[in-house]
Amino acid sequence: MKVSELAQKAGLKAINEFRDREVESVYISDMVSDILTAAKAGSVLITLQTHKSLIAAANLVNVAMVVIAKNRKPADDVVELATRAGIGLFNSDLDTWALAKKLAQLGF
Amino acid sequence: MSEGAHRWFMTNIRDGYLVVEGCPECGARSSFFSTEHVPPVDEYHDGGHFWIYLGSSQATKFDLKCGDCGKTVDLCDMNGLMLSACRDPGCAVGELVRRQGPGSWVYVALCPDSTHAGGRCVSNEGIEALNEYFNQDLGAMDRRVVVVPCRQCDSIDRCRGTVIADVGLTDLYAETPEEDRRRAKGRTGGKE
Repeated sequence: MKVSELAQKAGLKAINEFRDREVESVYISDMVSDILTAAKAGSVLITLQTHKSLIAAANLVNVAMVVIAKNRKPADDVVELATRAGIGLFNSDLDTWALAKKLAQLGF
Repeated sequence: MSEGAHRWFMTNIRDGYLVVEGCPECGARSSFFSTEHVPPVDEYHDGGHFWIYLGSSQATKFDLKCGDCGKTVDLCDMNGLMLSACRDPGCAVGELVRRQGPGSWVYVALCPDSTHAGGRCVSNEGIEALNEYFNQDLGAMDRRVVVVPCRQCDSIDRCRGTVIADVGLTDLYAETPEEDRRRAKGRTGGKE
């Protein structure tokens, strides 16, 4: 499933312009050290974090998109970095658990 | 990936704390990885240094192993990775960052001793393996990761970048500049 299709089906709100690539898996974490060692390339990362360090880690791992739960909003420099990296940045009113259930319903 | 190249995966992943110390005498910084339940905060003399605790963050260390040949590269001499934003023309890393095109990212592998007084840094073998690991699955993507050792920085203590570390993650960003100013006024008793 492409980033845009997943965003539409899960009711996610796009924060930036992104590369519409294939999403292959899901990872949930709020720790950047954990993301670095456990998230997979092409994954959708669900998190509460909005720190710039999150994008530095997500970019290195080559995640496809980041969904920030509970409608938290990242700062402009975080959005700018994600955009340069081509990482789709989205937020959702849902909490992490509800997002996970929704993605499971979508076949992940 | 070219024929005969390694196929790396992370191994020996261990969780702990990255503890940063500083010497007020000479301004040097040092860091070490601790797997103790609580990060150590001791102050102590070591040679000409007097190390004091500056802070710590949760961290993860790992090695790289080739799934094809079984070779393992020990990365115990790497304490972290930093996405470089250096633009200093007098710095080799800054110059490298300036030369990169879109989709190419420079990360600095950080060793424990910012002074490099002992002549040690992240090994060449480790840097080579990290470069291969972070680029091996990119396929046709217009994307590249370049990992360099921190000894290439003009001054790693002044270098600009975003360290991948679980520290400062709970700092709140203001949602608007107005909110930022309002918070600043709150902190300063109403003064701008």
